[in-house]
Amino acid sequence: MKLCLESGLCVGHGRCYELAPELFAADESGHALLRVAVVPPELESKARRAADNCPESAIGFE
Amino acid sequence: MGEEIFNAATGAIDIIAPEFALNPQPTIRAMLEQCPIANIPYTGWALLTRYEDVAWALRHPEIFSSEMGDFLQLGNVRPMIPQQIDPPLQVRFRKILDSQFTKKMVARIEPALREHARSLIAAIIEQGECEFDAAYAIPLPCKAFLEFMGLPVEEMELFLAMKNGVIRPDAPPIDMVRCTQLRAETGQQIYRYFEKLIDARSAAPREDLMTYLVQVELEGRRLTREEILDICYLFLLGGLDTVTATLGCNMAYLAEHPAHRRRLSRDPSCLEGAVEELLRWETPVTILPRVLKQDIELHGISMAAGQVVNIMISAADLDETEFPRSGEVDFDRERNRHLAFGLGPHRCLGSHLARIELRVGMEEWHRAIPDYAIKPGEIPRVSPGIREFQYLPLVWGKR
Repeated sequence: MKLCLESGLCVGHGRCYELAPELFAADESGHALLRVAVVPPELESKARRAADNCPESAIGFE
Repeated sequence: MGEEIFNAATGAIDIIAPEFALNPQPTIRAMLEQCPIANIPYTGWALLTRYEDVAWALRHPEIFSSEMGDFLQLGNVRPMIPQQIDPPLQVRFRKILDSQFTKKMVARIEPALREHARSLIAAIIEQGECEFDAAYAIPLPCKAFLEFMGLPVEEMELFLAMKNGVIRPDAPPIDMVRCTQLRAETGQQIYRYFEKLIDARSAAPREDLMTYLVQVELEGRRLTREEILDICYLFLLGGLDTVTATLGCNMAYLAEHPAHRRRLSRDPSCLEGAVEELLRWETPVTILPRVLKQDIELHGISMAAGQVVNIMISAADLDETEFPRSGEVDFDRERNRHLAFGLGPHRCLGSHLARIELRVGMEEWHRAIPDYAIKPGEIPRVSPGIREFQYLPLVWGKR
């Protein structure tokens, strides 16, 4: 599962790096960054949780 | 209930009714079922209620402008920055401000915040009762915020008086002339106070947010004096009110819902989920006002450019289409894209600060006082607009 972040939509709610810190990090202004490109199988449910809780729907999968 | 506050035939909602502030959810559910666009009878302003419409409006500042002009009287003579300005300028200001309010930056306040929570609780625990707003909901976040900004904590009463003079002036809400006058007077006091503080920090810089505002550069230049004042005006209103309101809403809910209260007291691992779910359920900041930049038509209702449209985030957060079992408070909700902090470019600048204050405040309280109730025979008093439990008498068993 490949993780996608549409940075243009992110406004820094920070739900993703709160719920899945293994997969997301914050930049200097608190906007999200991807830590990995491909989600390890054991983190797939966390990845979905982060995507489901992004108020801007900025996180997707390929 | 609901019927007197909300008229389904006309869509009119009495948003300043005390019963609505105390118990908004039943009325909101009726609005969501019967009326996607409600209106405020005093002003005729439209209210968007559904999650989809609310999210769309908040994402389109080019249609729904935050430049309120004379529509919103909060005593300020220029727009507050960045809340009352639109992109692209708003985005440039957020760029320099966001970096000061990240999760990492606010984490620094946690030790002092936790210690303060414990000392506030220690002062009341043996009494077996307290008025929650005065004893905890006001002092806890307000001290944290003043320290975070680098403002003198010993002047907290003055800051609170200035904040209240704008948000809840000492006159009936319906007496708009008197309210506007009181707000304008308080506004001048706020400007004067921060003028002096800007001078002090310019002359003697410190390691604090005030000094940052004096020194930071926006695209190669320092901020003007007026820009700093317009930021400080917003910080005063935002930092000293909303977390107080949220703590009161949360505790009033938990006081009346023993199963949820016990769960939170026994299982601290649900704290984060509980804070998010109570933010959704209570959404204490209920409405975000906007002005239309163009004519729009929505659900068969035409709205003209220049008209005020209120975005009712407290209604969107109870919308069943976004939140299955929206009427249930579920700390384990898997998907919770609540709008208590808004959405889009104006997402609450202080959301990370608010979250740490709420989590620490709730955690420490429940560790010390796991079981409590609203004092028998007493009825809490809640302010409309930003729902603050201004009178919340709680009792608990003495140890």
